[in-house]
Amino acid sequence: MTAIVRGSGGNPANAADEDVCLALGSMGSSESTISSAVRTETTFTVNGRSVRVELDPRESLLDVLRERLGLTGTKKGCDHGQCGACTVHLDGRRIVSCLTPAVQVNGQAVTTIEGVADPDGTLHPLQEAFIDNDALQCGYCTPGQVMSGLACIAEGHAGSDDEIREYLSGNLCRCGAYAGILAAVRETARRPNSPSSEG
Amino acid sequence: MSTPTRRVDAREKVTGAARYGADRTSPDLAHAVFAVSTIGKGRVVNVDTAAAEAVPGVLTVLTRIDPAELGSPGFVMGGGYGFQSLQPLTDDRIAYRGQPIALVVADTLVAATEAANLVRAEYEAEPVTSDLDAEGAETLVQEEAIPLPFLADIVVGDADAAFAGSAVRIEETYELPRQHQVPMELIGGVVEWRGDTLVVHEGTQNAGALRGGLAKQLGMDPAKIEIIAPYTGGGFGQKNSLQPHVGPLALAARRLGRPIKFVMPRTQTFHQASFRPASRHLVRLGADETGRLLAAVHEVDQQTSRHDLFPSMSTEITSRLYGIGHFRGRQRLVRTDVQTPGFMRAPFEHPAAFAFESAVDELAYAVGQDPVALRLANDTDVDPVTGQPFSSRYLAECLRRGADMFGWAGRTHEPRSMRASDGSRIGWGVASGVYPASVAPAVARLTATSEGKVTVGVDGHEMGQGIRTAITLLISEDLSVGVDDVTVDVGDTRVAPQHLTAGSWGTATALQAVHAALRELRKHLNVADSDPVDVGAAVAATGQTSVEVEATTIAPGQPPEIIERSRAGLVAFAGPVYPGFTAFSFIAHFVEVRIEPTTRRIRVPRVVSVADCGRVASPVTAASQVRGAVVWGIGASLRERSEVDPRFGGFANATMEEYPIPVNADIGEIEVGFVDKPDPMLNPVGVKGLGEVAMVGVAAAIGNAVFHATGRRLRRLPIRIEDVL
Repeated sequence: MTAIVRGSGGNPANAADEDVCLALGSMGSSESTISSAVRTETTFTVNGRSVRVELDPRESLLDVLRERLGLTGTKKGCDHGQCGACTVHLDGRRIVSCLTPAVQVNGQAVTTIEGVADPDGTLHPLQEAFIDNDALQCGYCTPGQVMSGLACIAEGHAGSDDEIREYLSGNLCRCGAYAGILAAVRETARRPNSPSSEG
Repeated sequence: MSTPTRRVDAREKVTGAARYGADRTSPDLAHAVFAVSTIGKGRVVNVDTAAAEAVPGVLTVLTRIDPAELGSPGFVMGGGYGFQSLQPLTDDRIAYRGQPIALVVADTLVAATEAANLVRAEYEAEPVTSDLDAEGAETLVQEEAIPLPFLADIVVGDADAAFAGSAVRIEETYELPRQHQVPMELIGGVVEWRGDTLVVHEGTQNAGALRGGLAKQLGMDPAKIEIIAPYTGGGFGQKNSLQPHVGPLALAARRLGRPIKFVMPRTQTFHQASFRPASRHLVRLGADETGRLLAAVHEVDQQTSRHDLFPSMSTEITSRLYGIGHFRGRQRLVRTDVQTPGFMRAPFEHPAAFAFESAVDELAYAVGQDPVALRLANDTDVDPVTGQPFSSRYLAECLRRGADMFGWAGRTHEPRSMRASDGSRIGWGVASGVYPASVAPAVARLTATSEGKVTVGVDGHEMGQGIRTAITLLISEDLSVGVDDVTVDVGDTRVAPQHLTAGSWGTATALQAVHAALRELRKHLNVADSDPVDVGAAVAATGQTSVEVEATTIAPGQPPEIIERSRAGLVAFAGPVYPGFTAFSFIAHFVEVRIEPTTRRIRVPRVVSVADCGRVASPVTAASQVRGAVVWGIGASLRERSEVDPRFGGFANATMEEYPIPVNADIGEIEVGFVDKPDPMLNPVGVKGLGEVAMVGVAAAIGNAVFHATGRRLRRLPIRIEDVL
């Protein structure tokens, strides 16, 4: 525990540039007795970079990504696993990060929307297809839609329009951009290299 | 310039780089959670915060705020700023289930959540009234309760006598449920003090009201308040005014000397913000044997709260749908124990059009007329209410073109006459939609540089409708600059007053101001209005590195001083009746439903919608707006209903699982067409509104299609499997 240093929970540059070490107790008073009794050191990778955090077991992966690691691209829409806005990949599988205790991802690899485009800024073909098909409006559900769309293709569930619709129905879009989302996933799934498009 | 086909902020949105209110983080951030009332009405006798305060990391638990320290924001429809006038935590009254009784602020979200769950309260409970007809509901005649001209009953001719004398008479009652907006972005954000300046980062449609309302509540100079909302993750009316969580957060942040993040739990968004109220619509239509409409009566009862009168404007559109010589509207408000209801996409127009356009379909069947032909035969160029011309009205073209695109000619008129090969019943339905074309005051500040870059700060909020794209396109086309050289700042009180963006006036309002600023810029650059211009060279020729201009625009007929209302954060829009003309947007929807033979599940495999919104300012985002509105119509007619247990009040299905908004698998093909003819009177850009009208009539078209499929006329939404068994 002594190796843990306080990190800047709000600086995305930390998450992108170097390994991040954060401690819950140092965020506030030193009297965090309940939390400190059950704090768990957890190590995992986010978008290929190693992360070590001391966690309250009640912290969701979503809140850790957003509030501790500064990766705010992953969104909170319900916090109950009902809307899909918080979808990320865990060892290549899509999960709702709001229902995933962060301690549970120890030793695993997390991919968020920030890790989908190439580091040089080149967008993933699915991201391009979302733009080309105007598969978004307010944009709030979009990171989750992209993460689910990638998984839908990788799972081999993009064989027909009806199948895509079904396998993307865990991701709500209140703006109603569903037609564009369907078109974007269909278009990407039909590219030559699909479904191995996930990095 | 070629017309870009892309949404200008799409890249930020597909990469997760777009920063919404709650995406702000900082090392010293504290987190807030509200504990809420578990009774539907009564009084808080005691709040026990001891256990909450003992949770490690808790910084403060606030149960009562002196009204002198935090006053009422006033009701947005009553000359104020708030979605309701009631400010929780300032006295012991409980007006509705879910009303905040304590604010917990802690170092971490888990601590704040744990502590809020430990707050215990004792209440004196009173019986709750929830429904329009319940004992204790108080019914008021709107024009008597709120004596304002634009809320008065619309009366043309003698509708009751004309109805009585009509050869064909339709008289039916339609019931519309409470519904919630459920934008994906949760309500909330970050509130912080920078010195003596209050800064609020929160997704909103009305940054101006947040500033004006907080200034009023906190007794502050509005110049010391900044609202920053470059992206709003969906609003749909729920974020159109100041919410009551912000004031307490501002006080707590000042006391603690730390920024506070608040993200309202989804369930609380059903109780701590507005919703579409329940309403009941009686429609009487009188016609001759050919279906020529002679008289219409439209009487509305709409739910409101005890503490505010949320007015209905249902008859504003039903009096204009067709050329009916005699019309009588009556709107009543029914007080119940609930938070104040409010605006939700096509707030009155969706329910009103469901009722009226269902009745028109009933008339078509009563006289044996094709529903499209009957509507065409009742079209009008003149506003029946004022006698003025419509600035533009292409409803007939919407109907004709939509019928062509849909293949309406292949429809057989008889109900239950069309069936798919799998045994599904097929129904084809049509309905018209109409929505007022309003405009608000706006300020545009435009800067052009010698490098050919253009930046504009203007009134408007980007909540997905594509206002940033529409503004970018206008500038790009006018000045022949690339879209990448244009920067648009909206939703920010540091660059413009930020009048409410709602009621489909946003794009017309912002574009009119930007258009005026572009004219001003050309004057400064000595370039004629119609001439092509090399912006960078023209700016360099002035000897400056940049040129800044400003323009203020108002709606036709508004006095210049109206801009001061907007600067104060108050609602200041005008329309749809202007000096010399009346302005509405129009749409026609064609819907196919299929009712599965065994499950009787109702599906909507295809919809065709053709809109008259004036000139289409941004084709890509406009089409998305219409498709989204059709999705809303499908949800509103087949899925969404906020359930109330009358014993307890509040809302019983207050989650995204139990309040079923449409999912991808619910949606089929949606084909969109535009008349795309500039409105010659409303503004120089020729633009009318689109986002609201696009939803108006969808529900009626679906209901009419269900009738065509089943022979059953369903007059209560949502229509569910049990209705078509």
